[in-house]
Amino acid sequence: MNYSRWTPFLFLAPALAGLAVFRFAPIVVAGAGSFSGMTLTGALEFAGLENYRWLLTDPAFWDSLRITLIFNLIINPLQLALAFLLAMLIFQPGRGIWVYRTLLVLPMAVSTGLSAVLFKLVLDPNLGPLNGILEWAGIGAQPFYRAAEQAMGTLIGIATWKGAGYWMLFLLAGLHAIPASVQEAAMIDGATPWQRFRLVTLPLMRRPMAFVLVADTAINFLFFAPVYILTGGGPNGATSVLMFEAYRSAFTFSDIGRALAISSFLLAILAVIIVLEFRLMRSPEDRR
Amino acid sequence: MTDPLAPSPLMAMLRYGLLSVLAFCVAAPLAWLCLASLSPQSEIFQPVSDFSWSGLIPSRLTLENYRALMQTDFPMAAKNSAIVALATVVCGLVVNAMAGFAFAAFDFRGKTLLFVLVVASFMMPFEAIVLPLYVMIRAFGWVNSYQALIVPEIANGMIIFLFRQFFASIPKDYYEAARIDGASWGYIFLRIALPLSWPTVATASLMLFLAQWDSFFWPVVAASDPDYAVIQVAIARNINFEQTNWGGLFSSTNLAIVLGTIPFLLTQRLYVRSLVAGGIK
Repeated sequence: MNYSRWTPFLFLAPALAGLAVFRFAPIVVAGAGSFSGMTLTGALEFAGLENYRWLLTDPAFWDSLRITLIFNLIINPLQLALAFLLAMLIFQPGRGIWVYRTLLVLPMAVSTGLSAVLFKLVLDPNLGPLNGILEWAGIGAQPFYRAAEQAMGTLIGIATWKGAGYWMLFLLAGLHAIPASVQEAAMIDGATPWQRFRLVTLPLMRRPMAFVLVADTAINFLFFAPVYILTGGGPNGATSVLMFEAYRSAFTFSDIGRALAISSFLLAILAVIIVLEFRLMRSPEDRR
Repeated sequence: MTDPLAPSPLMAMLRYGLLSVLAFCVAAPLAWLCLASLSPQSEIFQPVSDFSWSGLIPSRLTLENYRALMQTDFPMAAKNSAIVALATVVCGLVVNAMAGFAFAAFDFRGKTLLFVLVVASFMMPFEAIVLPLYVMIRAFGWVNSYQALIVPEIANGMIIFLFRQFFASIPKDYYEAARIDGASWGYIFLRIALPLSWPTVATASLMLFLAQWDSFFWPVVAASDPDYAVIQVAIARNINFEQTNWGGLFSSTNLAIVLGTIPFLLTQRLYVRSLVAGGIK
């Protein structure tokens, strides 16, 4: 077809410029900035590995890393399991199933920030209806996000409320991609429903499940808004995940170098996750 | 004869029972917020110690909490959110559709590499670069401005990807014929390709709108000044102050959720299809 060498780039220029400046340049800024420190006058100056040396000897950073890892080790398998259960429940056609399906995906239209606000009201220690119900049931009111032992569990619950239906959609697509003939063949061979689930469905769902696990992990490593809105990293640092720690470095302690060092650390973890995602998205045939 | 794949009545009961419990847990908080926002200010909360189920149903429905919103910072925040979201939708559609068209219609050097970078850009969650981006925006002198909220969100790898998928499904003969008739590439893009892609335009508009309507971390960092606070930031700010205006908080939160949910429900099918296609195909 006839077009000059430059035509494609004229069409691409605005979008590529936008991505270069606002998606890729910040990665470079994070990397470069993590080697600099802020002087008293507010100017940036080269500080070598100083920020990283500080970070690695700072117990607050190690606590935050530990909290982030525990958070991810719990929330990602939990969301995957719940999403898979929901997908299995929704998958077969049935009367009124679309109503359940719509209700279950509804929270994905509620932003993370607003779901945190919503649950701050639902879980309010003195006036919230959930504590009212717990009192009524004889269990007794719970402190939820106000107690160090319960705060992390509360945040996991809120994020799962929002996320389970969303990830269910990906697993539903995976279930639909399993040819009906495969299930029927197993039936004819006399497989029980449990055997069909364990020997046919589960192995064929490995890829969509791995995709959900990896993509969910990428998001949950950067968990921020509910911490900011509900706990402010507390009580007693119990919910100070890395992204919040980075935010606080920049805006509470005005230590941009530390904030960028933590950001670089998170970006390195994400790079690994994205490579995994790319490998999962390639179809099995062209994997060698 | 019964369908051998059909579940037994017991299994069906178990299935619907479990689904009902789960759907209740998901929907109840939203339903409660909605009802409470419509009840008189004095009934919104009931003390935990004398909880009763009937207390959850308002004695009468009223819009007084919504009328009271006009005296708060909500109209300002809604205006900011609307300006930011609409500007992003308009600019984002043009810029990303052009790029998607280029990836679908042309062959050029470095195409594969550039496309991999586009895909990588949307697999990296935006939160990861919020702090370094803030350092850049501060250097531009953009902190607390509309452009800080709009410009970084215009180019969007996911939207480029969606448009490429659509434009690649149009046979190249189509463009070829128009070229022979003497049409410029700009004309082919605007008058032939773009009108054909209206389902993608609808999905992309919704995704760009929701991305802005729902964003929280970036606005908190880049534009926390009340003059530029978007809805999410204004609501989060109100809940962190010692709260007396419960009616205002409930009605504004519910309104923000509903305004984000309606477009989602209207285009749910298209939206979900492209989302899943982007993730798994």
